[in-house]
Amino acid sequence: MQFLSTIPPSGFSLRIVSAIPKMSGWDRVRSSRSRLGGLSRNSHASEPQPSSRTVRLGRVQPQAPGYRTIYCNDREANLPVRFKGNSIATTKYSIFTFLPKGLFEQFRRVANLYFLMISILSTTPISPVHPITNVAPLSLVLFVSLVKEAFEDWKRLQNDKAINSTLIGVLQDQKWEHIPWRKLQVGDIVRVKQDGFFPADLLFLASTNPDGICYIETANLDGETNLKIRKALERTWDFLTPDKASKFKGEMQCEQPNNSLYTFTGNLIVENQTLPLSPNQILLRGCSLRNTEYIVGAVIFTGHETKVMMNAMNVPSKRSTLERKLDKLILTLFGALFLMCLIGAVGSGVFISRKYYYLGLGESVENQFNPSNRFLVATLTMFTLITLYSTIIPISLYVSIETVKFIQSTQFINKDLHMYHIETNTLALARTSNLNEELGQVEYIFSDKTGTLTRNLMDFFKCSIGGEVYGTGNTETQKGAAQRNGIIVEEVWKSATAVHEKGFNFDDARLMRGAWRNERNPDTCKEFFRCLAICHTVLPEGDESPEKITYQAASPDEAALVTAAKNFGFLFYRRTPTMIKVRESHVEKMGKTQDVSYEILNVLEFNSTRKRQSVVCRYPDGRLVLYCKGADSVIYERLADGNNEIKKSTREHLEQFGSAGLRTLCLAYRDLSCNLYESWNEKFIQAKSSLRDREKKLDEVADLIENDLILIGSTAIEDKLQDGVPSCIETLARAGIKIWVLTGDKMETAINIAYACKLINNDMKQFIISSETEAIREVENQGGQVEIARFIKETVEQELKKCLKEAQRYLCAVSRPKLALIIDGKCLTYALEPSLRGNLLNLSLNCSSVVCCRVSPLQKAQVTSLVKKGAQKITLSIGDGANDVSMIQAAHVGIGISGLEGMQAVMASDFAIAQFRFLTDLLLVHGRWSYLRICKVVMYFFYKNLTFTLTQFWFTFQTGFSGQRFYDDWNQSLYNVIFTALPVIIVGLFDKDVSASLSKKYPELYKEGIRNSFFKWRVVGVWAFFSLYQSLVFYHFVTTSSSNGHNFSGKMFGLWDVSTMAFTCVVVTVNLRLLMACNSITRWHHISVAGSILAWFVFIFIYSGIMTPYDRQENVFFVIYVLMSTFYFYLTLLLVPIVALLGDFIYHGLQRWFFPYDYQIIQEIHRHDPDDNSREELLEIGNQLTPEEQRSYAISQLPRETSKHTGFAFDSPGYESFFASQQGVYAPQKPWDVARRASMRSQRTPKKI
Amino acid sequence: MNSNVASSSGGGGVDGSSPPRRNSKRPKYSRFTQQELPACKPILTPKWVISAFMLVSFVFIPIGVASLLASRDVVEIVDRYETVCIPEDKRADKLNYIQSTENKTCSRTLIVPKRMKQPIYVYYQLDNFYQNHRRYVKSRSDEQLRDSKNENDTSACDPEDDSNGLPVVPCGLIAWSLFNDTYSFSRNNQNLTVNKKGISWKSDREHKFGNDVYPKNFQNGTLRGGALLNTTQPLSEQEDLIVWMRTAALPTFRKLYGKIEVDLEANETIQVTLQNNYNTYSFDGKKKLVLSTTSWLGGKNDFLGIAYLTIGGLCFFLSMAFTVVYLVKPRRLGDPSYLSWNINPAGH
Repeated sequence: MQFLSTIPPSGFSLRIVSAIPKMSGWDRVRSSRSRLGGLSRNSHASEPQPSSRTVRLGRVQPQAPGYRTIYCNDREANLPVRFKGNSIATTKYSIFTFLPKGLFEQFRRVANLYFLMISILSTTPISPVHPITNVAPLSLVLFVSLVKEAFEDWKRLQNDKAINSTLIGVLQDQKWEHIPWRKLQVGDIVRVKQDGFFPADLLFLASTNPDGICYIETANLDGETNLKIRKALERTWDFLTPDKASKFKGEMQCEQPNNSLYTFTGNLIVENQTLPLSPNQILLRGCSLRNTEYIVGAVIFTGHETKVMMNAMNVPSKRSTLERKLDKLILTLFGALFLMCLIGAVGSGVFISRKYYYLGLGESVENQFNPSNRFLVATLTMFTLITLYSTIIPISLYVSIETVKFIQSTQFINKDLHMYHIETNTLALARTSNLNEELGQVEYIFSDKTGTLTRNLMDFFKCSIGGEVYGTGNTETQKGAAQRNGIIVEEVWKSATAVHEKGFNFDDARLMRGAWRNERNPDTCKEFFRCLAICHTVLPEGDESPEKITYQAASPDEAALVTAAKNFGFLFYRRTPTMIKVRESHVEKMGKTQDVSYEILNVLEFNSTRKRQSVVCRYPDGRLVLYCKGADSVIYERLADGNNEIKKSTREHLEQFGSAGLRTLCLAYRDLSCNLYESWNEKFIQAKSSLRDREKKLDEVADLIENDLILIGSTAIEDKLQDGVPSCIETLARAGIKIWVLTGDKMETAINIAYACKLINNDMKQFIISSETEAIREVENQGGQVEIARFIKETVEQELKKCLKEAQRYLCAVSRPKLALIIDGKCLTYALEPSLRGNLLNLSLNCSSVVCCRVSPLQKAQVTSLVKKGAQKITLSIGDGANDVSMIQAAHVGIGISGLEGMQAVMASDFAIAQFRFLTDLLLVHGRWSYLRICKVVMYFFYKNLTFTLTQFWFTFQTGFSGQRFYDDWNQSLYNVIFTALPVIIVGLFDKDVSASLSKKYPELYKEGIRNSFFKWRVVGVWAFFSLYQSLVFYHFVTTSSSNGHNFSGKMFGLWDVSTMAFTCVVVTVNLRLLMACNSITRWHHISVAGSILAWFVFIFIYSGIMTPYDRQENVFFVIYVLMSTFYFYLTLLLVPIVALLGDFIYHGLQRWFFPYDYQIIQEIHRHDPDDNSREELLEIGNQLTPEEQRSYAISQLPRETSKHTGFAFDSPGYESFFASQQGVYAPQKPWDVARRASMRSQRTPKKI
Repeated sequence: MNSNVASSSGGGGVDGSSPPRRNSKRPKYSRFTQQELPACKPILTPKWVISAFMLVSFVFIPIGVASLLASRDVVEIVDRYETVCIPEDKRADKLNYIQSTENKTCSRTLIVPKRMKQPIYVYYQLDNFYQNHRRYVKSRSDEQLRDSKNENDTSACDPEDDSNGLPVVPCGLIAWSLFNDTYSFSRNNQNLTVNKKGISWKSDREHKFGNDVYPKNFQNGTLRGGALLNTTQPLSEQEDLIVWMRTAALPTFRKLYGKIEVDLEANETIQVTLQNNYNTYSFDGKKKLVLSTTSWLGGKNDFLGIAYLTIGGLCFFLSMAFTVVYLVKPRRLGDPSYLSWNINPAGH
């Protein structure tokens, strides 16, 4: 989760401070007009302020290279520069480039290239087959792929057309003329209405809102749905109406188009005055206008030069582990191919001889058959045989797998009703179809806590004000703990004062309805509420009444706090860039309210290092206050001396809250004197306008004023567990999946949540490695950084070794308990160092659950890759916030919770689900089935092509190794694409070993995927063995039985009769073999299998029945009729497939009888069940304790020791990108990377085939 | 996107009531997308295994017996003559003998072991002759054979495509190496007519070989490969050629030579006068003369019958074996103790 998202610095208190980069011939321009109080209202930018250091520049300033000058509202002046138009084309191809470019794309795939080479080989005389044999399947595959490409490109074209012809109001002749987007030019003045999209990157000139602000939504850029504020330069506020706007003649000098979404440098020169521009005046294409009637802007960048378009790039796609193993299988096939060709080639060299005079091997014979150069014969025959045996590589395998996976993800996963979440109206979404089967092999799940395990619906639950705890009620964690202890929790009687709305679940008569005025220290309460109402970056929306107002916040915590203030009688209802207006009801008379405006002078924003946020505000009466809220650790450091009583009691309360699983924040304030503030503000402005290390300097300056704080109290926010999380985790654990929770929360919160989720129970042996020990704290209090680091590292090392030893002892024990490891972020930093990494990995792999608390986003990614790379296990990361992005991308499978916290996680993920509990369906049902199906499809392809090719191989031995083909060209070329293509796809879609409900009922079945039981070399071996067996049966049975006359007429069969017979047997057997491999047979199976066999007969009836005028050897003319006129045909057709399948049948029978797979037992148990959704009582299998038993054990081992730290639980939005890349963790660290992904939605990369 | 915004901003405490307002994304139930298509779930239970084996054996054994009986009914006389038909003194250099122009008439005596009912088929059988060699198989021109208009279409026929610049009809190695041993039979000094009509498949005769295509320039080259053709007869009537050109699948093959349309009695002796012209000596090929009757299944071939009987027997044996195992050590269907996590509860 994140606090304060990536809102660009919005100058609520300051006028725009912008930086113009250094340019030759330019003075460094720095506009830093800082005016305090209400002054800003009256000032006009056109009147130069005495303090302003604005440099006036004439229009004749030399243009620095790399900068563009735009004349606003003056098309002629812009003409010579030839800016690009505003039409966009996201299509990959045009009519002319489609074929060459599309084909090029296709042939970048190795498989296609291989078949292209084979096709080229087959046009040469060394080829035994007609080119059609290889060209036909290749063309079909290419055709399918190209049609798909064309279709997708066509959709993109339509989309582009629609976008390009959207109408937009442009100023022409003092009127708003509506012209399509594509006709927009740089420099045009446009009007964008509410909820409209910006057609290009615009300079924001004027808005209907007062103060020249507008609200924009950047969901299309970064997926964030909270509103952002943009503010126009004061100088341009007036150009709102057409007649006024037409008078606007400005010149803009700005950077060249680039892809950085959050920076912009430039100047606006109006009437010889240079005004610096910042990102705050820029409205980017792709964003939309909200809460503003309309705005007027000038076009800066158009079309492909807009920042969002410059960000468009391909997303690197993940490949599944199974696919990588598939590559190995293909390589093995290549090896087999090579071996077969080698044998054949050697044979041909030995065989060839002039004694076979009937072969016409005279003096002028071609090289391939020239007996005087046997080596050349062998070499050329090698190529001949490669062409002949090319069918061993299944050409349609990739197409089929892609098709299957595509349908699996779009039809099954995306439309699964079990994964539809009614409350948020969200379905599961497979953002890639590459990883379906990976879902069936996951062994480690890395989960974020907040928003993933919990709902991320933050409710203000308790608070501590001035050393007093307020708020009744128990958290779910507490209830769970109490139940474990056997205490019956009485439902707290809801008092009349209880209010429960979104973000607020608080009840205490002492505070509600103004009762706080009678408390011991009402002034502290007032400060508390004001702090809540003022110190935030929330935007109010909707009606200004308490009932109807809603808050737009970057994180739900903030919204909850503001909502709390509202309920306590401090309604924050309006925000302007400089003001926060609060309707306070603390005035003397009950029920009366008073609107108070607080001027916001500075906002010291939140970030992950600061862990706090401050606001400097001025009361209407002139009082200057700094309100601060943040993590207890950072606030306590900055408190003024004294007041120890409150500090102590608040600290105790924080610990209480923390162990109850609540998220805490400390609130503090400080009164500022005018002088102190002025001098600080100077430094602040300097820091804010500095060009280098601005962030760092700002932090340093903020540090100067954020001290001597007075503690007000603390807040506690509850984040409830999502529905079904405990049972889901239990199920996944039974499935053999190990779940690691990586959270930014404090240890006690994390442990409690882990208990509540049944991740840890009391049968488990827990190893806790924490930096919160007395020894470490002591060192921390005195030692320097180096000393601390050394000490912690040593401690961690010792701990790890100790735990590892113990863990190994447990492993050897007879009744081994499950192990759990709990480690905190600080220790993890050291444990992840290369020297300790091995120990950490060993220890954690022995644990069935691991909890890492207080970890940074980078550490999340590091832990993930530790397991992924170190243990070679298949990992899955699930999270919902921007801080999970790196983890999501580091894992094999990334899952985003499409929840409340922006879309970054979803944008970076491979699958998006609405609730954590849907993981059960996604993994145990879809993942497992996909894995089974893909394995079956791959194995079957392997088998059918190997079988087919081997029959050819056996034939080679009896043709003098000449490479004569056994089958007719067309038979061979259609074998893969027609006669055996469809059934395997049907199996890939519909095969089910056990039903969905049984899959969830017996999660242990999932272990077969983890063990990779269905794609091992042993399995490949079994299939290969039966391929060999069957091919021998096909070849020898058919040829041996064909060596005499076959009916009363005594006529003999020729080569093509025999081969057609063999081919018929192959087609029939291979199709029936598939049926034998099916676990469930739908009518689609029957249709496709029967259809394929039928297709063969129909084909051969027609094909052998006609003579064509083309140059075709009439080899198979009439053969099928000749064959079918004999008993031999029918007897062989009955005999050969049955003999061929007998081997498999015996194998399967024995396997099932003596070494059954788990799923087979489950099938047998439920063999009499009706179809899915049976309500019947299912047999319970397993050795699970009842929940009650578990709870009764739980009492003793609850973590008693409360640490001195408390539940600060805000995560940061930005994650350490630099370090991440140093560590080799690939992740789009910067928000614009996320945006880049977001912008990809408009031009999705086509599915690879 | 817009709907998302609406939901997150407008959701202030009224979450529950929102879905009907918005158009729900809830997909319609369909058996396809929910993967609940009706299906039968075959389970290979022991009973199924046993009964399948039983079924196969019950079907196969009778078929095997019938095939074997049919095959046994066939009377076949095989006479290998490639060595015996060379005069003893010439056997040292067979190749020289066969390439010389001397008279190669050879006489053989066959004794009929059993009564042979007409028609009796006369075959020749060659061995080690790779009619399926790639260079051989493709050395023909179906176009040319079919239609006199295409007589120049000899591109595929290398190296026997033309003779002194004129196209050879029929071209190609296959035709060039046409078998040219001839047989005539007599019984008690009485000639047995060999009917050479109808020995080729009708489809070949009528469609592949044109009735207006006459041999031209055939065997004109320096090296004669085999038989000459009657240039006055169209190819569609030259059945020896048609039979020869239906290339055999294996290097050992039989081809039909003709039919004797009288019954032969047991112990009769048949005199065969044969012209031993064809050169199989350079590659050590055997030549055999075969006289055979046919049954409904064709010629004498025990393979199918034996295969059926063996498989049927094997299945019977297997079904018995499985039954025994089933009775002795039964496995209860769906026995949970077989589940891997019950065998090894730790699950590692």
